[in-house]
Amino acid sequence: MSSVFARKGARLAAGLVVAALAVTGCGSTDDGADGEKITLTVATFSDFGYEPLIKEFQATHPNITVKTRVTEFDQHHKQLATRLGAGAGTADLEAVEEGYMPQFRQSKDKFYNLADYGAKDLASQWLPWKWQQSLADNGNFVMGLGTDMGGLALCYRSDLFKAAGLPTSRDEVSALWTSWDDYFGVGTRFAASGTKAKWFDGVGNIYTAMLNQIPFGYFDTTDAYVGDTNANVKSAFDKVAAAAANPGMSAKLDPFSQQWNVGFKQGTFATLPCPSWMLGLIKDGSGPENAGKWDIAKIPGGGGNWGGSFLTVPKQGKHPKEAYELAKFLTSPESEAKIFQNVGSLPSQPETLKNPAVLGFKNEYFTNAPVGEIYAKSGESLQPNYRGTRDADVRPVFGRALARVEQGKQSAADAWAQAVSEAAKALGK
Amino acid sequence: MRGRFDRHLTPYLFVAPFFAVFAVFGAYPLLMTLWMSLHDWHLINGAGDWTGLANYTELFSDPDFWNALGNTLSLFVISTVPQLILALFLAALLNTKLRGRTFWRAGVLIPNVVSVVAVALVFAQVFGRDFGIVNWLLGLAGVDPIDWPADVWSSHLAIALIVTWRWTGYNALIYLAAMQAVPNDLYESARLDGASNWRAFWTVTVPMIRPTILFTTVVSTIGGLQLFAEPLLFESKGASTGTGGSDRQYQTITMYLYEKGFTLFDAGYAATIAWVLFLVVALIALVNFALVRRAVASR
Amino acid sequence: MTTTALPQTHRRRSGASTTGSGRLRPFIYLLLTAIIAASAFPLYWTFVVASSDNSAIGEATPPLVPGGNLFDNISRVFDSSEFGLALTNSAIVATTVAVGNVLFASMAGFAFARLKFRGRNALLVTVIGTMMVPTQLGIIPLYLLTTDLGWTGHLQALIVPALVSAFGVFWMRQAVEEAVPKELVEAAFVDGCSLVRVYWHVALPAIRPAAAVLGLFMFMGAWNDFFWPLVVLNPENPTVQVALSVLASGYYTDYALMLTGALLGVLPVLGVFLLLARQIVGGIMAGAVKG
Repeated sequence: MSSVFARKGARLAAGLVVAALAVTGCGSTDDGADGEKITLTVATFSDFGYEPLIKEFQATHPNITVKTRVTEFDQHHKQLATRLGAGAGTADLEAVEEGYMPQFRQSKDKFYNLADYGAKDLASQWLPWKWQQSLADNGNFVMGLGTDMGGLALCYRSDLFKAAGLPTSRDEVSALWTSWDDYFGVGTRFAASGTKAKWFDGVGNIYTAMLNQIPFGYFDTTDAYVGDTNANVKSAFDKVAAAAANPGMSAKLDPFSQQWNVGFKQGTFATLPCPSWMLGLIKDGSGPENAGKWDIAKIPGGGGNWGGSFLTVPKQGKHPKEAYELAKFLTSPESEAKIFQNVGSLPSQPETLKNPAVLGFKNEYFTNAPVGEIYAKSGESLQPNYRGTRDADVRPVFGRALARVEQGKQSAADAWAQAVSEAAKALGK
Repeated sequence: MRGRFDRHLTPYLFVAPFFAVFAVFGAYPLLMTLWMSLHDWHLINGAGDWTGLANYTELFSDPDFWNALGNTLSLFVISTVPQLILALFLAALLNTKLRGRTFWRAGVLIPNVVSVVAVALVFAQVFGRDFGIVNWLLGLAGVDPIDWPADVWSSHLAIALIVTWRWTGYNALIYLAAMQAVPNDLYESARLDGASNWRAFWTVTVPMIRPTILFTTVVSTIGGLQLFAEPLLFESKGASTGTGGSDRQYQTITMYLYEKGFTLFDAGYAATIAWVLFLVVALIALVNFALVRRAVASR
Repeated sequence: MTTTALPQTHRRRSGASTTGSGRLRPFIYLLLTAIIAASAFPLYWTFVVASSDNSAIGEATPPLVPGGNLFDNISRVFDSSEFGLALTNSAIVATTVAVGNVLFASMAGFAFARLKFRGRNALLVTVIGTMMVPTQLGIIPLYLLTTDLGWTGHLQALIVPALVSAFGVFWMRQAVEEAVPKELVEAAFVDGCSLVRVYWHVALPAIRPAAAVLGLFMFMGAWNDFFWPLVVLNPENPTVQVALSVLASGYYTDYALMLTGALLGVLPVLGVFLLLARQIVGGIMAGAVKG
């Protein structure tokens, strides 16, 4: 109570000084009453392919004007957090990426519960795990409607495979492994062949992919911290750490760094786990001279997902009903199919994944791999992966531990021990 | 009458705009930050429980804070000192009779305006482990490739180089402006006394711009201790969390503040870091001011 | 009116002679050329990537030869963001901030350096103290405040808080101390000049180099600031840095597009550099009395 009063008081005092400075008063923007024309704003962090769909929506809703805002990924989420905290400035629809969802779930009171607008009737529209990810409060609270997803596959350089005496066609390569142990085993063979290239790009991507394949990681489904005891986490950590310690295995590159880009073009590594949205990155990094050298195989360890977003409706918006209508429209199976065709975002809905246009899609740069089919299969077969509400507090801690092993600064056991104690500290235990 | 009013009141009117704007847009956020630091404050959800000084006691026993403080001081020393000395000489060069004076002066400021993205990309290539120019040169001398961001000393050295690259020209222009106010006759009499250029630089230029040297010392101390943009460039795009490497080896205090406040949404703790940083900066700026005043005076 | 009593001895401008002797000249030019080359390389490199396609960034060493895609990339920049508006907005913000700072800081600096008034030292210490405040966290309260004022999304949210700076006041006070002799100010008073006139006709001309540098820095700072504009503005009414963030959006960065934006964004600043760097010349009053 007193804090609210003090804050208001201080702001009031500050406001008076400003008034005394006699600066031009600029009111906030208008908002129409019911039945009048209203404006909805959609804020995203990349091209979600919404422009043509918005035109469609406006044609059927003459009273609604839709505007879009696009900002860089990281900045988009930090800006959203700041504006939610300040109580003003959010758009009517805000995209939130999967990795950020748990953090925003802690602030669900700042969002409308879409269940109040009938979102639960749409549940069957999405793959079950995608729907699960949008829920809070034991399934009573629907935070947002799912947009795309990032099914996992494994990208590999067939030319480097050939040089190392490994099979090159995607079916044969997929047959090389079912588990990650198989994958690292093939890697040892690859490294032993005397090639200069390494087996994978770096520990970051592999570990992320492995964590995204287990039912839960650092937190169990009741949101209790189990990072130090979960055998699945420890096993993934140990496998990656062991591989990182083998000099022929890791190219020791930070994902998304400039050196990583260079690694693509110079062919310094042969494989990496690649969610659907990463194909563009690989293509740009590798450049036209490496066209046809990359191909896509099955990911070891079963299907998995990395990435994908949700459309949320922050409570600051004055037109939740209309905003929900728009979100519903933008995430409908018909819209997702169109988006896939326009910008290639992988749909997160079973019906759309069976759409021939999606299934038949091939990517020329990746040796004409049937990416639609590969990713659809990967997405359908995966099990839900629960991310705890405080996942962001501990996930980086374990990632850094693996980086230390990769950099040769620590043994796997020491790195793990340090990570466990840092995680406990981060969670205030 | 008018004169009295003028001489007594006008000075206040002269300083009023600064204080008026500061009162609103500077003091209020500062006090608000203090208030936040006394609470369990979530970036989005706002004020939680009143915790008194709990955030402060936690901070003082937080090894990550001391680590960040150590990194900040190390980076500050190895980037600020060379940068100011180089700037002084660069200013002396720019202060000579040059053809295309404007061009040279504008040129030294370029590092300060080039987009941070471009700077990050170029320096990633310069300090690349596998294909970087620096490692290539070291390779010629038989040195093994260095993974620059991986270790404390190498990351600090590389960051210091980036900071020096970005800010030397900036400080040089400050010195240049001060040198322009040095009366020419002082140089003429020095020359009549048979002083060399080098000697004139030390006996005329440096003492004459002494207040400016003190000024840059204070300003660079403040800026150096709040170092943020340059070390952040060293983090890869996918992981710009402000952690500063796999073992926090180049995390500065402002990066720690950023990590807590904007990556982990712990605004209360971040506010505490901000206030402690404020006090640290004040203390060190004061010490530095005293030190440099004596050093320059003894010349 | 009667400023004529001021000693108007025009001295030769300083800065002519510290290291001017003949043998050193080629060496100085060589050194400066090397410094400028190192300074400008990332800028040149921005141009190279801006004129190439995106795959140029995968090269092991920075590419040195420009490609042929510059105009394509430029038109893409204008298609994918409000870049024209962004340039205009940035120009408005940076110019206002620069002018405001030079004016207010030189007024305050003059007062602190050459006028006597009660509480002067305490106020000066306060000014310097405010420089030490880390800005990052002030963002949230500042945002609350601008929201209350209804400024969110408008340029005044960038301009007004930045109109003054402690750095500027401190810097101008320094400049006045060094370039405006006490005797000159006293002489002007004896002559019956008002404070405002002394400030305008005596102090301001003498500190022109310092004022130009301050204007330059403030213009640059306002132009490059990105954290605060990103929080408070929206992409429909952006500054250059906000527009660049729009260009960088996406799961992966289109560096060619992004650096084309960066290149277009930096050119106006270079223009301002050349304009203001010319002003960094010895004040005509310097040494007028001391000499």
